[in-house]
Amino acid sequence: MENENVIICRCEEVTFKEICDTLKQYNCSSREVKLRTRAAMGYCGGRSCRSFVDTLVAEFSRRPRADDVQLKYRPPVRPMPFKTLGGE
Amino acid sequence: MIDCLIVGAGPAGLSAAIACAENGLSTMVLDEFMKPGGRLLGQLHEEPNGIWWNGIDEAEKLYQRAKALSISFHLETSVCHLEKVDGKYWTLHTDKGKFSGKNLLIATGAAEQSLPIPGWTLPGVMSIGAAQVMANVHRVKPGHRGIVIGVNVLSAAIARELLLAGVNLEGIVLPPRYLLTKGQSEPKDVFQSLLHMVHLAPSHLMKIGGKMALKSSFIRKMAVGTYPKKGFKVWGMPIKLKQTVTEIIGKENVEGVKVASVDSSGNIIEGSEEILPVDFVCISGGLYPLAELVSLAGCPFKYIPSLGGHVPVHDHNMQTPVEGLYVAGNVTGIESAKVAMAQGHLAGLSISSQKNKVSDGEALQNARESVVSTRTNALIHFHPDILDGRRRLYG
Amino acid sequence: MKTLRIKKHPILGPDDFRNTVAFTYNGKTINALEGDTLAAALLANGIRSLRAHEESGSPRSFYCNIGHCFECRVTVNGKEGVRACLTPVSRGVVVESGKKLPLPFKDGGEK
Ligand SMILES: Cc1cc2nc3c(=O)[nH]c(=O)nc-3n(C[C@H](O)[C@H](O)[C@H](O)COP(=O)(O)OP(=O)(O)OC[C@H]3O[C@@H](n4cnc5c(N)ncnc54)[C@H](O)[C@@H]3O)c2cc1C
Repeated sequence: MENENVIICRCEEVTFKEICDTLKQYNCSSREVKLRTRAAMGYCGGRSCRSFVDTLVAEFSRRPRADDVQLKYRPPVRPMPFKTLGGE
Repeated sequence: MIDCLIVGAGPAGLSAAIACAENGLSTMVLDEFMKPGGRLLGQLHEEPNGIWWNGIDEAEKLYQRAKALSISFHLETSVCHLEKVDGKYWTLHTDKGKFSGKNLLIATGAAEQSLPIPGWTLPGVMSIGAAQVMANVHRVKPGHRGIVIGVNVLSAAIARELLLAGVNLEGIVLPPRYLLTKGQSEPKDVFQSLLHMVHLAPSHLMKIGGKMALKSSFIRKMAVGTYPKKGFKVWGMPIKLKQTVTEIIGKENVEGVKVASVDSSGNIIEGSEEILPVDFVCISGGLYPLAELVSLAGCPFKYIPSLGGHVPVHDHNMQTPVEGLYVAGNVTGIESAKVAMAQGHLAGLSISSQKNKVSDGEALQNARESVVSTRTNALIHFHPDILDGRRRLYG
Repeated sequence: MKTLRIKKHPILGPDDFRNTVAFTYNGKTINALEGDTLAAALLANGIRSLRAHEESGSPRSFYCNIGHCFECRVTVNGKEGVRACLTPVSRGVVVESGKKLPLPFKDGGEK
């Protein structure tokens, strides 16, 4: 595709190129891509882009997708004010 | 304490709640949407007998049955975390406080998979499901004139619904070809997947297409592997298998799309670019199980592409390896609403049989069979290998 | 411009029995129909943009419309981060679009 600067992670505005460059340089896991680029780290909790990150990681590493969920889900899965979450 | 907490008031959650309550369990349903029904609410399909499956009516029927059984509902309530307390009962954390129950059924359905396309963060670009909900549930058109990107069962079904609602559509076209659109951007692959559906069950495509729309001549052409260069029309709307959107343009809102013709491998034909004025764009890349809460509950997963990706491990009674945790509906794999209902019913019976300590073998057996037959006869198959995917889970 | 409201529908039937409800969006009065979500009411009034990206300021609207993507978050009666797609309108409610933040708010800045 002509435009490598297409945004993959809408929340953190991380581009296709940034993720691919990171993978070329580090050949790393989804988790490391997340930490390095902030993709899937934003407000939506990675619901919108986690599978793109996984797809690109699988593509660059030439490893099949694992049964385990790659980017661990973390609470809260809906952003909440701290007070609501903590209960008291 | 509540016997059964259910997250998700879609067809699966509602059907499960009814089965639980009918068997004497105190039941509570939570959902973040303002109306019960989940994604069923947006659905409008013509059945082979010509009768319309109206999701709003179906949801209302389920909801009324549930209300009559005194099931308690918490709508507009988002579940953001959960925990198992003392290894005995579940506590859900929500934006409206905490709720506890002995058993937990997660029926959170599916989420849409997108296709990143240059310009897709502009206001006016939305998922195909967003347009469905806007038109059929909220009764507002997504815009004055739009285009759909991504040729698949869901986009075809929803495009038809948009036409019914009086929405103007340019047509359905392919996404640009790159790593993240593999299999969805090459005309020959997309054509193969349509063809596969025809071979699998010619009637399925016919039904989706509506009896009037997809003429048998088209099916015949498809079957011998020749397809019209320009695409073909369904309900008067072109499905352009050889056109792609390379960019969505606009400053504050969508103003148009840049389209180009592609060869059968998805390579852009030089000089074919043009700009089409539209004020909205729908993207359709498929669905995946929304299983985040199941994951937080500690359930293991399996990666099964024909079911939409990562699905929680569960047995044929919808029970997961985590004690007291059950799943039903699209969270277990992408299928149509009727399958979700059958699965919900089964899950509800399964939970009840644990609690009542009577293993009502026959009822469970019937419910399991009903899931299988509903699946086999489903009008919409989101993936040709669903049965195989299910075998990988249940053996 | 023609309205985006779908008043008639061949299968779903008519939609003309809802009361109007007024609320404000960025100081402007918006006439909505009872049962609308904020996102639907604003769209029906020709308003798509609901938010500016906190860092880049790029305009955003609802994307998934069912609460998953959080792109449509607005401020409602002072409460931030409310999803316009899941929030029904109510009379007199004060809605503000999500704003670009004035300062670089990312730590580290490594990018
Ligand atoms: C956008 C979209 C469009 C679809 N269109 C069609 C179609 O046209 N035809 C078709 O056959 N199938 C369609 N499907 C597939 C659809 O998933 C099934 O038909 C069926 O609705 C699945 O039922 P369910 O009960 O499993 O989940 P759903 O109907 O999705 O219900 C799940 C419910 O869980 C709620 N929920 C999720 N997470 C939380 C949380 N954390 N807290 C509180 N509540 C939560 C949601 O608000 C939702 O109401 C569509 C799916 C989507 C996502």
